[in-house]
Amino acid sequence: MSFDNPDQILVELSRLIVGYFADAPYLSFLVGVLLSSVPLIAIFPGCFAFTTWLERKGLARIQNRYGPNRVGPFGLFQPIADGIKMLMKEDIVPTRSDKWGHLLAPIFIMIPAMMGLAFLPLARNMTAVAIDSGLLFFFAIGSLATLAVFLAGWASRNKYSLLGGMRAVAQMVSYEMPLILSAVVVVMMVGSMNTSLIVEAQQYKPWVESDNPLFQCLGQIRGWFVFTPWGFAGFLIFFVASLAETNRSPFDIPEADSEIIAGHMTEYSGFKYALFFISEYVSAFAIIGIGVTLFLGGWNGPNIRPPWSDDPQAYLIPGFVWFFAKMFFLMCVMIWIRGTMPRLRVDQLMGFAWKFLLPLAFINIFVAGFYYYAPWYYGWPVSIGVLWTSYRFLSRVNQDKRIVRKRTYKFA
Amino acid sequence: MIPLEYILLLSAMLFTVGLVGVLTRKHAIIVLISVEIMLNAANLNFIAFWRYNPSPDLHMGTMFSLFAIAVAGAEVTVGLALVIAIYRHYQTLDTEALNRLKE
Amino acid sequence: MTIIFIILSITALTGAISAIFLKNLIYAVYSLLLLFVAIAGIFLMLMAEFLAVVQILVYLGAIGILVLFGVMMTRNISGASSERILSRGWFFGLVISVLMLFGVLIPGLAFSELSSSPAVETITPSVKEIGIQLMHLNTPALWLTAVLLTAALIGAVVVAVPRNYSSKLFLTYKLENKNKSSK
Repeated sequence: MSFDNPDQILVELSRLIVGYFADAPYLSFLVGVLLSSVPLIAIFPGCFAFTTWLERKGLARIQNRYGPNRVGPFGLFQPIADGIKMLMKEDIVPTRSDKWGHLLAPIFIMIPAMMGLAFLPLARNMTAVAIDSGLLFFFAIGSLATLAVFLAGWASRNKYSLLGGMRAVAQMVSYEMPLILSAVVVVMMVGSMNTSLIVEAQQYKPWVESDNPLFQCLGQIRGWFVFTPWGFAGFLIFFVASLAETNRSPFDIPEADSEIIAGHMTEYSGFKYALFFISEYVSAFAIIGIGVTLFLGGWNGPNIRPPWSDDPQAYLIPGFVWFFAKMFFLMCVMIWIRGTMPRLRVDQLMGFAWKFLLPLAFINIFVAGFYYYAPWYYGWPVSIGVLWTSYRFLSRVNQDKRIVRKRTYKFA
Repeated sequence: MIPLEYILLLSAMLFTVGLVGVLTRKHAIIVLISVEIMLNAANLNFIAFWRYNPSPDLHMGTMFSLFAIAVAGAEVTVGLALVIAIYRHYQTLDTEALNRLKE
Repeated sequence: MTIIFIILSITALTGAISAIFLKNLIYAVYSLLLLFVAIAGIFLMLMAEFLAVVQILVYLGAIGILVLFGVMMTRNISGASSERILSRGWFFGLVISVLMLFGVLIPGLAFSELSSSPAVETITPSVKEIGIQLMHLNTPALWLTAVLLTAALIGAVVVAVPRNYSSKLFLTYKLENKNKSSK
């Protein structure tokens, strides 16, 4: 056992604990499973609690308010107070509702949200389920959330719930396409669907393995796929589609408060509502985490080798610090978007997915194929040109041709 | 490891359940569901034989199952389109009531 | 290993049987999904990892949703029906199926020589290998599948869209139907 690599301390620790049970194979297997799954189940809801605070504070700043500031310093303990409130609320089940469906929907929706976390490479050797088709598995499991949402909407026997459920299903099914197709580009380039290998592929090896600390830092950044034309386009498509996939604003019409109250969650109260809420944020984290893995270099970040070690895979700052930093950065972007963008109409939403994002994702795949085989002085300009032209063309084609009267404000 | 018979027995039972569904239920969508169950049983057989054969690296069972799944997808699409068309025409999905040709 | 398999197969059989015999269609579809999940689990046990993923992606994510939509579009929302659910000749159907099971499938199993353990102990699941197989030996089948899926897509749209398609699709159709029936 060596603990001289700060990047791998947690891995070594878990190996040590598992090694302690080496005599009993079943027990050590169980301990290994628990050690890789329990932290995920503990950490991400913790992140969720922090994010609710962050979101309320951020939105409040955007809207020129204070936000929560009573419980604890800066209102930091507000999520705990909210949690206690949620736990103690009465659990109301509508009389006419479908009892089983109403009970099972919040449980079903937690399963895909939590399972998606298992495929995130938090650091080197820190993927809970490092399988060969991890990325595909993630998307497959992500598509299960639709079933739970549908069940919730149907079982509530409420027109608002049903409308919200149907909207959610339609939206998630149509945004899954651009989401997966934008990830296909990365799979083409790396040649693997293993999330750990995708992160490894985003290092520029000659620089990372050199002795110069500056080059070591830069080598872990310059390989990120977001710095290539197809990667940039893919990242934008992925991010927009992931906003829609997790029902975040501006694509939050399934739970548009001003139209259909809370969509499929209308008839839920107390802890069942909290489960929906948690699963929404956890799946948002999972999908952002995959976005970080695919395009933003995963656990790669400006990192140097510790001075006491000459192992090229040792880093001074643990990889998961960078991973979580990037994840929270993207979460902040999501909150920012929520605070500043108006909600789309249903037809705009569908049109955006099928007429804009999907063709762009297809074009991006072709561009990536071209980029792969062309030399860089040829690949870069052509890829940028093609992507930019198709972006302009698609936005021109999709433009609303109707002449909209300029809005005049009477009372303001 | 599980003996091959167990898996084959399971798939035989699933196939029978699907057959029962096709032959005894009268709702068109349930009949479609039963066909799906039978296809799943067949896929299970393919995979079981692939796992137990001497050269699994050829992936023949996987290929068969992949294409079977693709065909099942196409089948459900067309089947549900037909179901919706029938429902719109006759306002029922009762397979016994759909006897226009007989009368 | 065997215990997990038995649990999975009981789940699968429960799912299948309740999918067939439940009155409530939505419940039936959800228990069908249970069957699909159990089958995916068995695929995982048999080291067909990629196929398990495809099973989840296609059967649960696509076919399940599709069937649910089909149920929603053809039934009243409540999903429950009070009339009898079995067809007229259900008894003969049951007899035929049971004969099929005990007359053909199980004797076939009993009289054939089957290996009790796999010939190759461990298979390293590799998506790349499957891709290579798909692109080398099975390319014609892949093309045919593409053609088939496109044909199915077009066919489904043609069949499902009402004959007198207009921008107000469903409403106009319903109105015309009502006029016809009142005459």
